[in-house]
Amino acid sequence: MIPILTNDTTLHTPIFPTWCPGCGDFGIWGAIKKALTELQIPEEKLVIVFDIGCSGNMADFLRVYGFHSLHGRAVPIAEGIKMANHGLKVLVIGGDGGIYGEGMGHFIAACRGNHDITLLVHNNQTYGLTKGQASPTTTKGVKTGSTPQGLIESPVNPITLALSAHAGWIGRSYAGNIPFTTELIKKAMTHEGFALLDVFQPCVTFNKLNTHLWFQEHVYTLDSVGYVPNDQNKAWQIARDDDQLAVGVFWDNAQQVPYHKQVPQLKQGPLVGQLASSVNISSLQNDVS
Amino acid sequence: MSTLNWKIAGRAGEGIAVTGMIFAKTCMRHGMHCFTYGEYPSLIRGGHNTMQVSASHDPISCQQRAVHIMIALNDEAIAQHLDEFSDATVHIIDKKATKIDWETHAPKGRVLDLPMHTISLETTGSTLAENMVALGASCAVLCLDLSVLYSIIEEAFVKKGSDVIEKNKQAAQKGFEYAKEQSFACLSTLPVFAKPQVLLTGNEVIGLAALSAGIQFYAAYPMTPASSLLEYLAKAQDTYPLVVKHAEDEISAINQAIGASFAGARAMVGTSGGGFALMVEGVSLAGITELPLVVMEGQRPGPATGLPTWTCQADLEFVLHAGHGEFPKIVVAPGDITESFFTTRLAFEVAETFHTQVYILGDKFLLESAQSVPRFQDTWTNTRSGFAPENLPENNIFQRYAYTENGVSPRSVPGQPHGLYLANSYEHDEHGYATEDSTTTQKMVEKRLKKLEALQPLLPKPLLLGPEKADLTFVCWGSTKLVLEEVARQANAVQPKSVNVIHIQTLMPFHTKEFQALAHNASRLIMVEGNATRQCERLIYAHTGIVMQDRINKYDGRPFYAEDVLTWIDHHKGIA
Repeated sequence: MIPILTNDTTLHTPIFPTWCPGCGDFGIWGAIKKALTELQIPEEKLVIVFDIGCSGNMADFLRVYGFHSLHGRAVPIAEGIKMANHGLKVLVIGGDGGIYGEGMGHFIAACRGNHDITLLVHNNQTYGLTKGQASPTTTKGVKTGSTPQGLIESPVNPITLALSAHAGWIGRSYAGNIPFTTELIKKAMTHEGFALLDVFQPCVTFNKLNTHLWFQEHVYTLDSVGYVPNDQNKAWQIARDDDQLAVGVFWDNAQQVPYHKQVPQLKQGPLVGQLASSVNISSLQNDVS
Repeated sequence: MSTLNWKIAGRAGEGIAVTGMIFAKTCMRHGMHCFTYGEYPSLIRGGHNTMQVSASHDPISCQQRAVHIMIALNDEAIAQHLDEFSDATVHIIDKKATKIDWETHAPKGRVLDLPMHTISLETTGSTLAENMVALGASCAVLCLDLSVLYSIIEEAFVKKGSDVIEKNKQAAQKGFEYAKEQSFACLSTLPVFAKPQVLLTGNEVIGLAALSAGIQFYAAYPMTPASSLLEYLAKAQDTYPLVVKHAEDEISAINQAIGASFAGARAMVGTSGGGFALMVEGVSLAGITELPLVVMEGQRPGPATGLPTWTCQADLEFVLHAGHGEFPKIVVAPGDITESFFTTRLAFEVAETFHTQVYILGDKFLLESAQSVPRFQDTWTNTRSGFAPENLPENNIFQRYAYTENGVSPRSVPGQPHGLYLANSYEHDEHGYATEDSTTTQKMVEKRLKKLEALQPLLPKPLLLGPEKADLTFVCWGSTKLVLEEVARQANAVQPKSVNVIHIQTLMPFHTKEFQALAHNASRLIMVEGNATRQCERLIYAHTGIVMQDRINKYDGRPFYAEDVLTWIDHHKGIA
């Protein structure tokens, strides 16, 4: 049987996106489809786990083995899938609210565990689906529906957080640049181990500060300054800059062994294929007889 | 004496639990039935810890209050247990090494002043073998065969080498001889009957059964009284094709298990009430995505952190109602060690076949007490069920959530060609795509709930224990069965046909007709449960309209004692 490889046709569903016209999600959606087409993954070997939010609504717009999970819980669902069947490629799609807010603990744990999953975060610095409240990455002082007096908290910095939590691959992109985002998705998905790809995604309806125009004025590529992603201190320094925003690969450590390769039971193959049809419990019973 | 009741009490860190298990094994290897029960506070060093072993050639299923031997390692061991002693009690203490205010407490019984400290030092060069000295003396007092204790010492210390084994055996032997010299020894030795029994705690037997059922993934966050299940399964990873994940929190644990289940693995989580509270949104997720999941909830008293190391049956309604929305859930509360084994196996089968979640509702009393039971068979076969055919049509119209007669739709797993679908936390159509359509919504709710009808016949029905007709019929669920079985045995031995018991193991879905049939045959129904708000009693009323004539509720963190129920019977004689 010839495997069906992911491409624009296999990924097509009859449902057309419900995003606002001009939403950054369209760019990311296009980049994902392009990256998956170029990666040529047998369609049944790919699983995409979606968080809840505008980004997660992509679940209906991509025909894959998918899991549209709960707000903040896409990462542990993906880890479970990967531990049960490490033969699968696992991509997680979520937003800044689900991943850096509700699911922050899971995000850090996934970095630490180096689970071989790609975490793509649509970072629009607002809560889109619930109509524009402050998110973990909203700029301090911004007035939103939930912070009418101005946001008191300082924003989360996903890149430095991931660096300190031992993530193996860390990248950032801007949704307005589809070819660039496509390349970064491909790199993230071919990295063996945990990969964070944070994508600046303008929300045309609720974020009047971080617009397409704003990003185009603030974004530069790491390649353009000759940065090579093997310097943690430099990566830290660049990522701390809130004004000039670098995109590209911040950190790439191919030496880090992914979680499933450190579990001896999985050396023989994926867990799902190992169901014990005949089990002997005699030695466990001998211990207690 | 037909039942011997042995107890050791001291501070945490003195090897109380291990000593108890060695003694219980010694009794079991004589062919006796035994039951162990331990109490300990939530700390690592100090505090007051006890472990007691009740053993008998007759069936025994719970701890007894009257203590025959008390190995007292500190003052509290006497002071806090005065009502458990009688003239027949033998206190094994080391007067020189232990400060006990003997005169003030004036406990009933005799004292065997055993120089455990000195003997341990003399035989092993350390004080670590004091408990062995006490075990040797215990064997002498209770007519047990010392060679049986020797064989258990040999097994317990096999990794430490023959020198350690010999020294510990010597310590036990000296203890035995010392008791003999002091005229505390039994004149005869009990015969040894080889009986194929195993001594297992609830957590161990649930772990053992899960392994026998081919568990592939277990995720948890440590929490008493479920932590020892996590550790039991974690250890089994060396031998069985199983991945155990200590997750960052319970929310992650249940979501990882749901992910593993989506990928096709047999998955389980375990926790206590507080941890389960965190898992609850995942419960609902497993419900709408129709993924198999086994959950062990080990009850301990709440609210909040409550009494971490004590017992209760107060999470019944919580577990029954956990999860927003309406979807099928199965809740079973095994009543003893043997039931725990078979119910756990059943949980995996039912979960996988019907794409649903099954709750094993335990409690500290069941999960951390050990009971000797007939050895289970050694080999078990597992067949997969509830999956779509391996080769799916290539037309790409696979419907993971197709409407079917019994509500069970074909299940594909990632990796399987042409089975692509979306597991969706939103209400969805047959493919899994989100919908807000009213007709689809109604049909999906009905499809999921329909499964309960199909699976109910497979679940354990209410059980009548004891004589068919009796003066009093006690009704219980879960671990209270252990105690009420003992009550029935003792009461009926004095007055035949005075007591029988209805034990409910399946709480959801409720076996209404079966319970009604048993209850209508009863003259007087008394509910016995470990909570203050009559949770199961009200559940029974809601399903059957049956009203209990009386009730015994306990919510002080302690398990029921057979003696308490027997006293209750005495007090209520003639009040019909």
